[in-house]
Amino acid sequence: MKIVAITACPVGIAHTYMAAEKLSKTGIELGHDVKVETHGSIGIENGLTEQEIKEADGVIIAADKTVDLERFAGKRVVVVPVADAIKQPAELIERVKTAPIQKATTRTQDAKKGKDGNIVYRALMNGVSHMIPFVVVGGLLIALALAIGGEPTANGLAIPEGSIWQKVLDVGAASFMFMVPILAGYIAYAIADRPALAPGIVGGYIAANGSFYGSEAGAGFLGGILAGFAAGYLVRWIKTWKVPQMIQPIMPILVIPIVSMTAIAALFIFVVGAPIAGLMEGLTTMLQGMEGSSKIVLGLLLGAMIAFDMGGPVNKVAFLFGASMIAEGQTGIMGAIAVAICIPPLGMGIATFIRKKLFVKEEQEAGKAAFMMGLVGITEGAIPFAAGDPLRVIPANMIGAMVGAAIAITVGVTNNVPHGGPVVAVLGAVDNVIMFFISVIIGSLITAFMTIFLKERAQNKVKQSESLKQVG
Amino acid sequence: MKLMDYMDEALIELDLAATSREEAFEILTKKLDDAGYLNDRAAFVTALEAREALSSTGIGFEVAIPHGKTDAVNRPVIAFAKAPKGIEWDSLDGEPAKLIFMIGVPEAAEGDEHLRILALLSRRLIDDEFRNRLKEATTVEQVVMQLETVYA
Repeated sequence: MKIVAITACPVGIAHTYMAAEKLSKTGIELGHDVKVETHGSIGIENGLTEQEIKEADGVIIAADKTVDLERFAGKRVVVVPVADAIKQPAELIERVKTAPIQKATTRTQDAKKGKDGNIVYRALMNGVSHMIPFVVVGGLLIALALAIGGEPTANGLAIPEGSIWQKVLDVGAASFMFMVPILAGYIAYAIADRPALAPGIVGGYIAANGSFYGSEAGAGFLGGILAGFAAGYLVRWIKTWKVPQMIQPIMPILVIPIVSMTAIAALFIFVVGAPIAGLMEGLTTMLQGMEGSSKIVLGLLLGAMIAFDMGGPVNKVAFLFGASMIAEGQTGIMGAIAVAICIPPLGMGIATFIRKKLFVKEEQEAGKAAFMMGLVGITEGAIPFAAGDPLRVIPANMIGAMVGAAIAITVGVTNNVPHGGPVVAVLGAVDNVIMFFISVIIGSLITAFMTIFLKERAQNKVKQSESLKQVG
Repeated sequence: MKLMDYMDEALIELDLAATSREEAFEILTKKLDDAGYLNDRAAFVTALEAREALSSTGIGFEVAIPHGKTDAVNRPVIAFAKAPKGIEWDSLDGEPAKLIFMIGVPEAAEGDEHLRILALLSRRLIDDEFRNRLKEATTVEQVVMQLETVYA
């Protein structure tokens, strides 16, 4: 027989797993194919796929807490306390044959998130929560150094060599450098445990450093997310290899890291690197070709690019384009960019201020720091939010920045320093300061409210499906 | 990660001088308290008893795994005791407990590594051979040697 089972217990640290082990062992002994999904305090593991449920001859639910039975409509289902699976697994397997059939409920299965959906979310949040301190500390130190020690020059906000603020800036930059590697490392860790940590961190470092693959800019946090998932799933797969007993002890410390690190490095250097360099070239050509076309369109495009990957290749192209145009006397382009640069972090800060409940504690703290970073033009402050919920936060960032940049370029906000955020206006690099601030405020509010709207909508959806579940 | 990261030799008892579950709790929680793992011993005992009240943690085959999830525990920890004479534990199969793992977990511990390792231990305890080797171990070193095999 093919049997699927779920085990769960109140505390979720012991019985769940003993029952699972007992059921699968007994299954093997009796010649049945038993797959057990565990609902412990780690979360749901070894999740049953729809295919497995479809093929199963019966279902065993050994649980001391409520388990949703809707997935098993039409199947023979035995529901017992978790202890029964430890005490009399063989009897349970026998009982499956004659168990009553679970009634179908009216709702369809489509709202159900697969097991991988959960893992993706958990992995992203694991990466983000470990990354936040690096972003916050680095961002605030850089912000402090720029705000107090910075002077506007043709090369951006410069801090006099040898001053104490130079050191503060360096320390901040050091902390920032770890941002993407830590994000990637802990995404990988969440997927495949400790052996995946090193490959994830190194993979993230390579992703963030374009010099590895002949690109002017690294792949940014989006590259880091890619590296993290690639490393995680690769290690998870390597762990399933059957290796001789003798090699087993060195698998987690030697074999897995070396194989997976080499593979991730190769992925970025030979596969991902060239397209990124090509993308940058293409975008640069496109921007140069747009001189003379409608200002609004250019503003919208620059805003979208700046906010899309926040320090990644697309952002970099827009920024470098703006910087090069200053030399040609077209300071309006940098004006629009300066507005776009600060909108994502300011928007995230505002969103966490007015709707605390939508954010976890760490994010609320990161929101304050993001706001500060926004003031001095450090777009990266919004990265923890974007990395944790890319499908909602990135569009909100982009639209706010697009509107802000379009207003700024249309009304003639200029900036003769390649840097962004209110700090450049305060330091006197911006013309039309009032419109600069109006553009920033409008853009930031759009980003903030759109983030809130999208997150609330997502939450309501989850709530709705949960309440339906209970009715069913 | 491995089980022994959450244990130390001072928390291994080879001959538990207890005749009841309550006495076992008394002795083992004192050990944990003395080693600095607890900030409120009484509260931890209450959590252990509350869990037993739900259903016995005597899972059968002479194994008991009393556990409590409470902030009376400073950090995730496991104490191990052998009770060669057996202790009545109201267990699933009626047999007295001879191998006792006492587990303490704070409400909000960082990460889930300790939970994974406990899951792994739970699975290993179903293995007859593993249990037998633990029962045969006569020194702390031998016990540690067996527990060292619980890693991921």
